[in-house]
Amino acid sequence: MTGQYALPEGFRELEQFVPTWVVSRSCDRATRRLDSSEEERVAFFNAARDLAAPALELLDKKPLSQLDEREQRLMDLMLSLVHVALAVEIQGDDEPRHARGARHVIITRASSDGPAS
Amino acid sequence: MCCNLAGIERTGLKYFLEELLVTAKQSPQEQAARAADTAGLGTGPIPAGPYYRADYFELEREAVFRRTWLQIGHISELPAPGSFIVRPVEIADASILITHGRDGQVRAFHNVCTHRGTQLVAEAGGTRSRFSCPYHMWTFSDDGALRSAPDFERFYVDKSQCSLRKVAVEVCAGLVFINLDPEPEQGLRDFLGPIAQQLEQLPVASATTFSEYTYEIDANWKLTYDNFQENYHLRFIHPRSGEAAVGPQNPFGYPAKFGFQGPHRTQTIWSNPDAAPKPFQGFAFGKAFEAAMADGCNMTLAKDYYAIFPNFFMLGSPLNPFSHCVMPIAPGRSRGVIRLYWIGEDERASQRFAREYQMATARDIHAEDRAVIEAGQRGLQSGALSHIHLQEQEVLCRHLYHSVNDQVEAYKARLQSAGGTL
Repeated sequence: MTGQYALPEGFRELEQFVPTWVVSRSCDRATRRLDSSEEERVAFFNAARDLAAPALELLDKKPLSQLDEREQRLMDLMLSLVHVALAVEIQGDDEPRHARGARHVIITRASSDGPAS
Repeated sequence: MCCNLAGIERTGLKYFLEELLVTAKQSPQEQAARAADTAGLGTGPIPAGPYYRADYFELEREAVFRRTWLQIGHISELPAPGSFIVRPVEIADASILITHGRDGQVRAFHNVCTHRGTQLVAEAGGTRSRFSCPYHMWTFSDDGALRSAPDFERFYVDKSQCSLRKVAVEVCAGLVFINLDPEPEQGLRDFLGPIAQQLEQLPVASATTFSEYTYEIDANWKLTYDNFQENYHLRFIHPRSGEAAVGPQNPFGYPAKFGFQGPHRTQTIWSNPDAAPKPFQGFAFGKAFEAAMADGCNMTLAKDYYAIFPNFFMLGSPLNPFSHCVMPIAPGRSRGVIRLYWIGEDERASQRFAREYQMATARDIHAEDRAVIEAGQRGLQSGALSHIHLQEQEVLCRHLYHSVNDQVEAYKARLQSAGGTL
């Protein structure tokens, strides 16, 4: 029975992060990072970092255009993990200072948003 | 292997080999000093006024930005006949319409209706082969010709005299450049010189799409641009994100080499061979490397930086192939546009993940620079300093100042000899 789950099997530990970190556009993922607390970021990073390799391995099995809804959510989680990893692993306790400048640097187009209209 | 130079005494080859040996024995600091000397740029302080004064900005408008090739887009933005983009060039008070015509030609025009000067197209881009002015419905085709205008028989002019005003446009390595001079002094390839061929080897030349982020900043365009021409600040402004570009053997991140080609300049970024990425960062870089290899990119140019006069630069890295254009808006206001170029749309999850990581990494670093650039502008425009001091590594900043100022002085001389107007 998988109907109650938002993500593919094998990623149950990440279910709790779906409401917060499944964000479909790059600009909004960057903003979500800036609006999050350190506790939120660390909890997500610690839970997800070792699951990135198996997640991408699963998702790489089909073209992006053929991902089902659960797989797409997992993809979006992995893309949010990109932004959170930079905050936790690279910026560390400098993230609040970093965020002040980052709010002025706006993602206007990203390959992850799909072809430009 | 040894080489006997006696037989080629006084030949160009000998000098070339000596140059290689001298360069190899020099520290990065020594190479920087040598470059400063050989470029004839001097070592004295630079006037502070050009970084904030309104009268100098006005001179730059006329002497540089209305007479120089300016990067304004990428050919992937005009993928098919009917595609168009509109881009502002604030320093020239201009809006430029660039079209991909049904005949395959890329053309650029002032985005100005030739009836009473109304701005013709409001959108930033799209697909359309006819452009109608909202005011009185004058309608132009994508080659700029006036096709129709209501009640035109009552005007006192021929339609052939009412085409959109052309702007020179050329493409190199996929990069679209315009020149606002009605009769540019030289074509784009002559302007770029040998850099044109180098750009054509970079991922940008094959790119079909890009990611982009932008910022506006309360700082002069040269002050903003200069921040990205020196690594002196890395240790202090990017202590975490800039670790790979400094190290015990090169604590201030001197470039491995740099050079000057007319108003343009190049450098090869030094990277610390002992720098170890953080675990997740290493994982993401691995994915980026796999994607770049799949695209068949040339890693030998990975650390090369190409600064195209006046306000554009490009890094050659296939992992992180980005350009940065700093558009002047006002003496103390600029807009930065950063693009990372990709070959093909995202096809697989790992590729999408890697591209997002590369873009977010570059954005983090640029975000860190903003506050200190604005602080520099506030200090300079207080007028407290008559001059600023540039050290060896900042020779690229010195070169930009001189390249701009040479054109400003030449313009002033022409203006004087022409009796005040050009």
